Amino acid sequence: MRDRVATLGGFAVGFALLFVAWHLAAVYLVHSVLFPPPSPVFWRALDLMDDGILQEQVVASLRRIMQGFLLGSAAGIPLGLAIGSFRPVRVLLEPWTEFFRFIPAVAMITVAVIWFGIGEESKVFLIAYTTIFVIIISTAAGVGAVAKDKLRAAQCLGANRWQLFTLVALPATLPFILTGMRLAMANSFVTIVAAELVASNDGLGKMLWDARLFMQVEDIFVALVTLGLLGFATDRAFRLAIRAFAGRFNPTM
Amino acid sequence: MALVSLEGVGKTFRGKGGSWEAVRDFSLGLEEGEFCCLLGTSGCGKTTVLNMLAGFEPVTAGRILLDGQPVAGPGADRGVVFQGHDSLYDWLNALDNIAFGLRLAGMGKRARREKAGHFLRLVGLAGQEGKHPAELSGGMKQRIQIARALAADPRMLLMDEPFGALDAMTRAALQGELSRIWAETRKTVLFITHDIEEAVALATRIGVMTRGPGGTLKAVVPVDLPFPRERTSDAFMAVFRQVHALIHAEIHPQ
Ligand SMILES: Nc1ncnc2c1ncn2[C@@H]1O[C@H](COP(=O)(O)OP(=O)(O)OP(=O)(O)O)[C@@H](O)[C@H]1O
Ligand SMILES: [Mg+2]
Repeated sequence: MRDRVATLGGFAVGFALLFVAWHLAAVYLVHSVLFPPPSPVFWRALDLMDDGILQEQVVASLRRIMQGFLLGSAAGIPLGLAIGSFRPVRVLLEPWTEFFRFIPAVAMITVAVIWFGIGEESKVFLIAYTTIFVIIISTAAGVGAVAKDKLRAAQCLGANRWQLFTLVALPATLPFILTGMRLAMANSFVTIVAAELVASNDGLGKMLWDARLFMQVEDIFVALVTLGLLGFATDRAFRLAIRAFAGRFNPTM
Repeated sequence: MALVSLEGVGKTFRGKGGSWEAVRDFSLGLEEGEFCCLLGTSGCGKTTVLNMLAGFEPVTAGRILLDGQPVAGPGADRGVVFQGHDSLYDWLNALDNIAFGLRLAGMGKRARREKAGHFLRLVGLAGQEGKHPAELSGGMKQRIQIARALAADPRMLLMDEPFGALDAMTRAALQGELSRIWAETRKTVLFITHDIEEAVALATRIGVMTRGPGGTLKAVVPVDLPFPRERTSDAFMAVFRQVHALIHAEIHPQ
């Protein structure tokens, strides 16, 4: 309990320092309308929230992230497990994963728009794309890292192959899967902004793009700060969820 | 007929760097209910012998019979206590680790927890059932391994230096408990160690191995001392000296 209070206090001070540094830099260092200090940005954010505009963009972006992320995870985890467990599957699929892994989602925006248009599908596809390879690779690595003695112990307690997989290999791999999901979540933020910048009718990326078009500098900063805070909050929520339901699997989280 | 018989067993590992003969012409019979210690210097092939008997690795020469049948793979009739702590399940608490074999056998939650509780108390861990491996000391983890193996009710226990990494006091305490548990359950035990005193304190027979490579059985020393054993008695010291002389010749060959 005291630890948690100390952590929250530390975060509060850390953020306060960030805003102070921003303020000092804007007021004393840069002196430019192109770099507003925190206060006008804050007032602008309140205005946008009054109209419900900011919330709309946030919901649009987050919904796409969640859909693509769940889709990518649902496909990536079983694939990673299969690649890690069966040599023939690995040999067969490694060219796929090692090929697409080096074509970043941002480079796929063009084809995504050609194939799916600028609606939801292209965004969900891109997030799923950016998610799936990270999760496949960390899941497969996790399967390979299961201690041999854990499997052997189960074998001489009478485990069959199915039990070895579900009761030993799978839970032992879970920390790797969850870590992969955390990394994939960070990738999803990068990808959604890029995708919305290029082709979208709403979302935080679209907001950034429009603000640049109409030279609304405060709006740009509102979008940037919102992204930072959302990312931070999402990652914390992820870690808390992991600790709540799987902390025992991974004492280091 | 012996419960287990190893007949001319050999193991040669083949790898990129050529082949390595770890065990050569190893023959030993184990009677039902006996406590046999296998003693040898580091690297002489003790773990390799155990791995073959457990069915983790195939023999490359000779054969291993269990109840007259050749060993084909690991099975619930041979419980294993491993050299390190890697084999415990980090995501299960002490009680569920012990109950793991019962779960595999399809026993219901209540029944298996009750039975596991019995073995938890047998190894002296009453009150620790809710702790996870990360929250347990090295000695406690070895107790859990022993309880987990016993709970599955195997024909025999194979133990690979289970107390090797513990401090002297904890080790002596666990040796005492293991001796008591063995007297209660009368399981057949193959216990690997490189500690002569440990072997003399626990065993009904001590098999001494030659040093590697190509370790083999050098001599078998019966230990006809009553339990619990008095480590400072003359009879204990006499067996200790006899075994020490056999091992000494392996460490300092002429
Ligand atoms: N998988 C393997 N591949 C190649 N060589 C191996 C393998 N396993 C063991 N060896 C070799 O076989 C020999 C015997 O190893 P083993 O683990 O049985 O020794 P040990 O008697 O248990 O030693 P310790 O007391 O240190 O545990 C060693 O020289 C070891 O390097
Ligand atoms: Mg060994």
